Amino acid sequence: MTSLTSNAAVPAREPGRAKRSRSRSGPRAGSIAAFLLPFFVLFTLFYIAPILYALVQSFEKIQRSGGQYGTLSTVFGGTTQYSAVLSNPDFWASLGRVGLFGIVQVPVMLFLSLLIALLLDSRLIRFKAFFRLTAFLPYAVPGLIAAIMWSFLYHPQLSPIVRTLDDLGLHVDFLSESSVLWSIANISTWLWTGYNMLIIHSALQAIPQDIYEAARLDGAGDIAIALRIKVPIVLPSILLATVFSIIGTLQLYSEPSVLAQVAPSVSTTFTPNMMTYGIASGGNHQQAAAMSVVIAVATFVLSFGFMKITNRKTDA
Amino acid sequence: MITAMARQSRVRAAFAAAGLTGVLVAGCSSAGDKPAASSCKPSTGKVTLQYWNFVPGMKKVLDVWNAANPNIQVTMKNIANNSADQITNAVKANQAPDLAQIGYDSLPQFRSQDMLADVSGCAPATAAKSKFIDWTWSQSTFGGQGIFAFPQDIGPLAMYYRADLFTKYNIPVPKTWAEYQAAGKTLKAHDSSVAITAFDPSNSYLFDGLLWQKGGQMYSYKDGKWVVSIDNPNARAVAAYWQGLIKDGTVRTDLKNGSTPLTNAYAKGKLATMIGAAWSYTNLRDNVPKQSGAWRVAPLPQWSAGENRAGNWGGSTVAFIKGGKHTYEAVKFNEWLNSDPAALKIENSVGGLYPAATAGADLPALKVGTPYYGNQNIFDVFRQSAKNIDTSWQWGPTQVTAYTSLGDAMTSAVAKGSDLSAALKVSQDAVIKAMEGQSIPVTAGN
Repeated sequence: MTSLTSNAAVPAREPGRAKRSRSRSGPRAGSIAAFLLPFFVLFTLFYIAPILYALVQSFEKIQRSGGQYGTLSTVFGGTTQYSAVLSNPDFWASLGRVGLFGIVQVPVMLFLSLLIALLLDSRLIRFKAFFRLTAFLPYAVPGLIAAIMWSFLYHPQLSPIVRTLDDLGLHVDFLSESSVLWSIANISTWLWTGYNMLIIHSALQAIPQDIYEAARLDGAGDIAIALRIKVPIVLPSILLATVFSIIGTLQLYSEPSVLAQVAPSVSTTFTPNMMTYGIASGGNHQQAAAMSVVIAVATFVLSFGFMKITNRKTDA
Repeated sequence: MITAMARQSRVRAAFAAAGLTGVLVAGCSSAGDKPAASSCKPSTGKVTLQYWNFVPGMKKVLDVWNAANPNIQVTMKNIANNSADQITNAVKANQAPDLAQIGYDSLPQFRSQDMLADVSGCAPATAAKSKFIDWTWSQSTFGGQGIFAFPQDIGPLAMYYRADLFTKYNIPVPKTWAEYQAAGKTLKAHDSSVAITAFDPSNSYLFDGLLWQKGGQMYSYKDGKWVVSIDNPNARAVAAYWQGLIKDGTVRTDLKNGSTPLTNAYAKGKLATMIGAAWSYTNLRDNVPKQSGAWRVAPLPQWSAGENRAGNWGGSTVAFIKGGKHTYEAVKFNEWLNSDPAALKIENSVGGLYPAATAGADLPALKVGTPYYGNQNIFDVFRQSAKNIDTSWQWGPTQVTAYTSLGDAMTSAVAKGSDLSAALKVSQDAVIKAMEGQSIPVTAGN
């Protein structure tokens, strides 16, 4: 974030002081390494190593010999698993589903987060702390609990919403094949808007007040200040929140899984992660590994691609 | 680090290959002359066995055994969540228990992943055959290929029904599926909000039980290949039947098995029957207490009048997991666990299990009426049902895929209003593909 009021005087450095700081860098680097080592050990053991293991596994295949149940062995399979994954129409359908989900849900959610953050930062709202807390509260609800709660609000047998709408003559089906994806999007939005709002709100809080004074002197109203000063300044935070949301969307798993308990419309191959888990449960860990690698690569490409594009735009 | 991992998996594979030779020979030889696949000598000193399960109250059963057997202590772990995955992961990590609760339908998949131990070299194991109902022993031994598990409980299917509603509307209790369909229409004519039952198209577990009743065999093994025939005429007949009920509008298709909306529908009196297993009796008793006295149990409707066939849904075995070090003790405990009246009594009363042991039928608790069901002796119905279950039914080595593919395909068919029996072919193709992906020799049966 650029500082617009960096006019504080910088004291001139004495040559002696510079020498001292250079000689201090040796032992300091050692203590830095010592503090970071535990993290890197654990990171390698529980993050890097399993990923590499899955990568290796994805190039293997199962082979059997002899009899109805045969002798089991794993051999090098080349791209067998990858072609199986990439030629599976259900896989592309699930990717398409989360893609569609992301294209709609992420912008809608971030728009809401931005709106709420701007409102909280403006002069229009009183009791800011209260509204900030209540906007953030859904995030404090564990994702599974939220999904269960919403599943009760969606299912016609249990939902007071559906019953009320029924009485008014409007027959809604939140769990039909065409609407269940958006019902899940609603749950995600409810859960994450507050979290993203907080990211943007914190960025807004860091903006120095004199900018606004200058803007008001120039005749800018509240809305102009919001759109032309606040939003551009917090754009990096919004973009960061977008990248997190893209990654989260591609990994969608818990909300659809919970909804699957009450909604027949959510199949076991609804999202890529659900499908991967199903294949692993079916005993083909090698194919599941290949599928996870493909999903990871897609996530990488989309999130980095997004960052690259937006960096170019903000640099220009 | 990569090479170390790869080396490890090659070593493990070689180990598995060596260890499997015994099982392989057992599998290929004819029944009766099996070499010992695992040593069956009693261990010296104190032995601790690990038994993983998710039967409510199993701890009480273990307390009884542990008190009487100071040298064979058994500890347990509750694996209610993702039991199959927990067992699989533990075996892969060389942290496997000695015994684990595995459903009959999962045994082929576990065996095809080389996770079960054959204890047929143990005399007490082969002697246990007479203690269990025929089809349960057959499935636990893969038709005599080896002894991989002892049966624990079964889920013979029956029809639970709201006797009060049938009486109120003067509908005779259906004995055939045709009568069942007619009863549904009559009910609907009297009260359009009441369905004859909830048909959950994703519940392929129950659906397979209904196929079992009709003789819609899904798997066989011939000429060195698995023959997958999920899409067979009997199965199509069952699918077509339920499609008829969906067209009649007499079944609910939006209520998933085991879900809160389903329980709510029972509580509100919207469902007149429940096609369920013996272990389902606690569902209604515990979740819909207000309807005590209103429900009864009758045999499953038949395809032809006068027939007496049933299917099975669920039930588990206690399987011997590969890598167990105390085979003799595991066999002794497993046999006691699943055939001793003291153990069966607790498993039935607290766990709600219907025993697979023939001695189970003599349990005092199974000879009395159940208050919730108007004091009807419901276990009589289940005992009859258990006697009439086809012993030739087999499950497949990729049963998880079989269940999910059928459930997804049937759900999709119901949602689109398309042909339910077409889902059988979709599932069959998915299963064949899954087996090919695991290099299991397979061919299509139809």
